[in-house]
Amino acid sequence: MSTGKQRIDGAAAFLLHAHPYSETSLILDVFSRPYGRLALLARGARRPRSALRGVLLGFQPLELSWFGGGEVKTLARAEWMGGIALLSGKCLLLGYYLNELLLKLLPREDAHPVLYDAYADALGALSRGSAEAAELRRFEKILLRELGYGLALDKEVASGEPVRADRQYVYLVERGAVEARDDEGLPSISGKTLLDLAADDYDDPRTLAESKALMRQLVAHYLAGQPLQSRRVFVELQDL
Amino acid sequence: MSSPSSLDELIEALRCLPGVGPKSAQRMAYHLLQRNPRGAERLGQAIDHALKTLRRCARCNTFTEDEVCDRCASPRRDPTQLCIVEMPVDLNTMEQTHAYGGLYYVLMGRLSPLDGIGPKELGFERLLARATDGVVKEVILATNFTNEGEATAHYLSEVLHARGLKVSRIARGLPVGGELEYSDAATVAQAFIERRDY
Repeated sequence: MSTGKQRIDGAAAFLLHAHPYSETSLILDVFSRPYGRLALLARGARRPRSALRGVLLGFQPLELSWFGGGEVKTLARAEWMGGIALLSGKCLLLGYYLNELLLKLLPREDAHPVLYDAYADALGALSRGSAEAAELRRFEKILLRELGYGLALDKEVASGEPVRADRQYVYLVERGAVEARDDEGLPSISGKTLLDLAADDYDDPRTLAESKALMRQLVAHYLAGQPLQSRRVFVELQDL
Repeated sequence: MSSPSSLDELIEALRCLPGVGPKSAQRMAYHLLQRNPRGAERLGQAIDHALKTLRRCARCNTFTEDEVCDRCASPRRDPTQLCIVEMPVDLNTMEQTHAYGGLYYVLMGRLSPLDGIGPKELGFERLLARATDGVVKEVILATNFTNEGEATAHYLSEVLHARGLKVSRIARGLPVGGELEYSDAATVAQAFIERRDY
């Protein structure tokens, strides 16, 4: 999108992260529905009486307007849309995990409306205190699919045979499920877990545990060695 | 055009200040050297002196010249109440209220998972040792009402509750003299959600 200067009005967006910039401003990393992730300069946002203070909140639906053609646009207006309660407690930490995944995996200025809606749904579910693990798996699945790393969960990759619930498999990154043999060295996953994951059915505790391990393996692969700070902090807090 | 290395070093050193980029650092360096060499000398000495004499108070974690700061050593303050704030400026604001007579603990930050700031970086262990000294009965969480401040308050309340302390959180809502018409929607929404019996 190097179409020179342009002005965008009232785009639905979430604030993912903010860094202080110069004396009184912020650089925002936002995820907008129509334009994807982008960097915005919020002038004066750190002034004591800035009107942006009660508006630029993470995990809250916003409507942002901005202008400019460079890599960092300038925020013109921000409005709080509401509708999602403020996250608290453990769910707040899980929200940071979602944000870190987007910050580290989503390229800038690449529109992903489906992923945006999935993110909004996940935040809504977290704010209502729904089953957190299932919400995270659902989001991770859509994130990988939208990034072009869709998972093949219901077919055995070598033979093309349907995955069978009573068999054991291993999941090879970028390829798919193959039937488990003794020599793979990867954790094996039951066929039922793969099918449940394909259907977003997380009622079985074993499905939850195995799909968590699988998603962790896949996310770690695509992060290419970048550590997830939010997960480390989360684990340290659980240990207190 | 290359400048002398000691000048370069001064400019580079000034960039450690928040919000100071290369341009501002250069402007400051030339100002100090050209217009105000005595000010520069005083600044250098003040930084040197402060670094040598200031340390963290053993009880409240804020800066002091002694082992324990005057406030923590004062017999007039109620040692059974401990108010936790993020930064020394927050402590100053609390003090200006004249509404609180207990002691403080300054975290010197807040949980910020995306910046890699967790309980280890904030020294939660030290705070827990302070709060469980046997004298403190109530801990008042006065971290900011940002997501980071809320996350900090939540986890502190869990670990402090588990250690048998009474934990409270400062209230959130409209400012004194605040009118609904001129308040931002997020504040009014939260004030409504957290409304109380009256």
